Amino acid sequence: MRFLKPYWWQVILLILAMGAQVWTTLQLPALMANIINDGIVTGNTDYIVQAGWQMIGLAIVSAICSFVASYLSAAVGANYARDLRFAVFEKVISLNLEDLKNFNTASLTNRTTNDINQVQNAVMMILSMMLRAPIFCILALVMAIQTAPDMTWIIAVGVTAILLTVIIIMVTVIPKFKLFQKMIDRVTLLTRENLTGLKVIRAFNNEEAEKKKFVQANDELTRLIMFVEKIMKLTNPLINVIFNGTTLLCVYIGITLLSKDFAYLGDMSAFAQYVAQVMMSFLMLSILFVMLPRANVSAGRINEVLNTKTRIHWKEQTNGVPEKTPSVEFKNVDFRYAEADGKVLDNISFKAVAGQTTAFIGSTGSGKSTLVNLVPRFYEPTHGEILINGVNIKDYKQDDLMQKIGFVPQRGMLFSGTVESNIKFGAPNATDAQVRQSAKIAQADGFIEKMPKKYKAHIAQGGSNVSGGQKQRISIARAICKNPDIFVFDDSFSALDMKTDKKLREALVPITRNAVVLVVAQRVSTIKNAEQIIVLDNGKIAGKGTHAKLLCNCKVYQDIVKSQLSDAEYESELKLAQKQKASSMDNIDGRTVLKEAYA
Amino acid sequence: MPRPHEQDNTGKVKNTKHAFRIFIKSLKRYRLAIIIAMTLSVGSSLLNIFTPKLLGDMTNIAVTTYPEINFGAIMRIIWLVIGLFVGAGILNYLQGYILAVVAARYTKALRERIIDKINKLPVSYFDTHKYGDVLSRMTNDIDVLATSLSQEITDLTGYITTIVGVMVIMLTISVPLSLIAFIVVPISVAVVGRIVRFAQKFFLARQTILGELDGRIEEDYAGGVIIKSNSYEKNAIAEFDKINQKLTVATKKSQIFSSLSYPVTHIFTNIGYVAICALGGTFVVEGRINIGDIQAFIQYVSSFNRPITELAQTMSTIQSLLASSERIFEFLAEPEEDPDVEPALVIDNVKGAVEFHDVCFSYDKETPVIRNFSVKVKPGQKVAIVGPTGAGKTTIINLLMRFYEPDSGYITIDGAPTREMKRTDVRKMFGMVLQDTWLFNGTVEENLRYGNLKARHADIVKAAKTSNVHHVIEALPKSYKSEIAEDSDNISAGEKQLITIARAMVANPPMMILDEATSNVDTRTEQLIQDSFEKLTRHRTSFVIAHRLSTIRNSDLILVMRDGAVVEQGNHVELLKLNGFYAELYNSQFAEK
Repeated sequence: MRFLKPYWWQVILLILAMGAQVWTTLQLPALMANIINDGIVTGNTDYIVQAGWQMIGLAIVSAICSFVASYLSAAVGANYARDLRFAVFEKVISLNLEDLKNFNTASLTNRTTNDINQVQNAVMMILSMMLRAPIFCILALVMAIQTAPDMTWIIAVGVTAILLTVIIIMVTVIPKFKLFQKMIDRVTLLTRENLTGLKVIRAFNNEEAEKKKFVQANDELTRLIMFVEKIMKLTNPLINVIFNGTTLLCVYIGITLLSKDFAYLGDMSAFAQYVAQVMMSFLMLSILFVMLPRANVSAGRINEVLNTKTRIHWKEQTNGVPEKTPSVEFKNVDFRYAEADGKVLDNISFKAVAGQTTAFIGSTGSGKSTLVNLVPRFYEPTHGEILINGVNIKDYKQDDLMQKIGFVPQRGMLFSGTVESNIKFGAPNATDAQVRQSAKIAQADGFIEKMPKKYKAHIAQGGSNVSGGQKQRISIARAICKNPDIFVFDDSFSALDMKTDKKLREALVPITRNAVVLVVAQRVSTIKNAEQIIVLDNGKIAGKGTHAKLLCNCKVYQDIVKSQLSDAEYESELKLAQKQKASSMDNIDGRTVLKEAYA
Repeated sequence: MPRPHEQDNTGKVKNTKHAFRIFIKSLKRYRLAIIIAMTLSVGSSLLNIFTPKLLGDMTNIAVTTYPEINFGAIMRIIWLVIGLFVGAGILNYLQGYILAVVAARYTKALRERIIDKINKLPVSYFDTHKYGDVLSRMTNDIDVLATSLSQEITDLTGYITTIVGVMVIMLTISVPLSLIAFIVVPISVAVVGRIVRFAQKFFLARQTILGELDGRIEEDYAGGVIIKSNSYEKNAIAEFDKINQKLTVATKKSQIFSSLSYPVTHIFTNIGYVAICALGGTFVVEGRINIGDIQAFIQYVSSFNRPITELAQTMSTIQSLLASSERIFEFLAEPEEDPDVEPALVIDNVKGAVEFHDVCFSYDKETPVIRNFSVKVKPGQKVAIVGPTGAGKTTIINLLMRFYEPDSGYITIDGAPTREMKRTDVRKMFGMVLQDTWLFNGTVEENLRYGNLKARHADIVKAAKTSNVHHVIEALPKSYKSEIAEDSDNISAGEKQLITIARAMVANPPMMILDEATSNVDTRTEQLIQDSFEKLTRHRTSFVIAHRLSTIRNSDLILVMRDGAVVEQGNHVELLKLNGFYAELYNSQFAEK
């Protein structure tokens, strides 16, 4: 509600307009009563014309007020939604991965879109209907008492009848709605299963069994629908009967009162209209009460995001002077998710230096991806420290740290725009030549040149118009174009085929001569030549060293290699490794020679 | 493979006449019920129409007999009126009740027909149609049918009856006064209609911007890591703000017009009232009409307004009803799999000799996928299918299982052509373990029993043990009774694969089809999977889409696929000697030595 504050004067204006509208609307039946009493009955045609003009005038005023009120409620609702949407978006963008752990992207998107729309509708309805109902009631009561005080009790009878009907129907039906949703979900689920499991179902010849399951769910659903509908269908006839009944009551009472005063003749039809309008506003109000809980759920979901506190606080200014030579050092780093028991990373220490590749391998859940996500401070270690270029990452200003890192996530992520705008995402001032060069290294130049507008080719939302492998290569180009001190490849090569993977790694060599390269990989072939391989098992370091060394003495690494090679190949690899180790030529391996050649 | 069809979700009917005919035809069974409901609705509207007239008569009696009011006459009318509106209410409820039942039964039957259809369509249908499309017919379109069926049909008859009836009564009261109403009301409806149509344009514009904004939000949230690591937050927020502002402006614009419609109606209604009062007043003075009649008349004018506006609304609902029914019946009319030949061949004691005779196949008629492919597999042999992703390895499996039929040529099992057998009998001979580990929502045991619905618990446990998944299941909180849900994370991808293997083991078929999973399985589970794959294929003719060199090298026969065609066949040694595509593939795996 605090988002309504800036619009208080609009809300006040709205209430005034609404009051005026309600008042004028209520004058109309009174005027009509006068026309009947003083005009028609007495045959005073002049009066009829005069009151008629008054009526039209009032109707116009009322219409204007009604327009102002309903426009203002919409405008305030729109402004409110805009502010709320902005606040949520800003919050989500500024929060860290760790803070957002409990939400997935779809749910966050939903909260920023659908939920806010729900709340916006609720605000509009509160402003138009909920405010109007009490104003209407009070003024109508005043008018009713003025015109015919003896008939006021009819309003109470009518309103009570309406409320009772609505409440009774809602109480019987609303609990069934939840069940209804559940059954609808079940039918949808079974349909989806039949579609996604099409081949399996046919392979096992289980079409009949599936049909039986579906028919059962369908029957249950149909039975419930019939039950709910049979009750819901009561609403309209009942409400009609109540409206007609009260009108009849008004006329009847009016006629009995006629013996006292002939003026009741006009009054009773005016009165009947007041009663109908008051009852109408109560009806609207009760509908509102059915819809509000839904908006309330949405508001709660939005607040969950807005109330999320970040656990990572950046320095305003970088403390200390980072060294010129890039390096990444982990000192006894532990990490565990807040509220979780098990450590994801346990006592990790290593140093990665410029010009070398440090690779991380291990099974799913071993923590390798989490580890590299600590480097750009997406998560905060629970214990230990991380030094980048000799300075603790906690002492960096956010932009200073990010500028040093070229991060390539597991899934290639692109933004709508052009190929060029995507590559220049982290380096807005890059020249055309730099963009082309980056694409070339990332092995992306081939397919980009084939696109109709080349580097100016349009990229659709989320990069949905290019393939997975192409997306990945453009994201690699984006990191290269930034010319960072530290490259982080979080399993970025698995979407590429072996050949491209190999070519790309060769092309990276010259530009990473003065950079730290951190690589998470699934395939042994991707990281075989890394200067340092860190094997992770359940969050702990199970081995550290070169391919050859690990193959000889690290059980976990051996298992990984075995699972990817045939037995014979594994044997030959092992022999090769042992030979290499024996010749103790660890320092001058093929990679160094290759590098020399490039230099 | 062909591109999926562009989905047409605009809610427009393509062929109104045809759609209408089919929809009406589909309601045949409920014809009587619907006619009764419509009659009831007409009756209920007619009863309602007389109320204001009678109330007016009451006033007339009061005025003419004043001051000695004739209460006897008035009471008679009161009872009549009560009888009328209670009667109208009862008729109204009855028609609602009948239609609710009709709509529920009708949609229930439709849902069953859709699910039947899904299981009778050829697999190839889903190469060109998205699942979501079929699903939306089952949910959204059926929903549209249900609500409009139980509402609109009788609303329509009710509105028309009311309009006609009210017009008649108004004319009987006073022709000149009726003329005023007949002029004012349609003008007001037309003006409001214009405004609404104008507003629609702005609503559409708003919808477009809303879509843009939603897209932006989704994209930025998904790419949060990239935004952060490139210090792009400020730009992202600024870009978002621009669209957000645009949306707000568009929303307000669209609201200006929709806020206009009620006040405009209001003004017109009141002008009508005044005109009627003024003219009516002079008539009363002249003695041409009674006061009660004027009161009644004013009520009729107000009850005349609503059905006309609603009628326009109903017309657009009927449009969307027809669009939905068209989409549903279009789906139901899709050609089904060819029926099995009669009488079908039956083979007992399957040995497992499989032969492809000159098989040609294409997904669409232009691009042949498999050309004159022949191969002979002896009973118990292990066949590996290899090739790069997208080479069409699954095509072979699709043909074996008769998910697709060859364009020419045929496949035999133990010498008998599969096309002359029942599809179910062909499929019964194979067990299938796919990479896509499809499990349904249900307990572990139910999922395992899927292989053979008659299997006993002991058989299931035995199969689970052989598939190395018994201990995993035992570790679950409710063991074999644990629920598997789509998003359940208590079971890993590798374990799911083990369960599908056990499922095939429960079926215990004479032949096997396997698709090896590639990645995202931890080392230990990977070994378990390999081991159970090995057990599954022992002594059985088996076809494996292979990714592991070890599997490939142990195979009796390797089919090498490229760009959808089988380019080489033979065993590992023979193929290496060929020094062709297979050798290239094999070497690229470990080229860096």
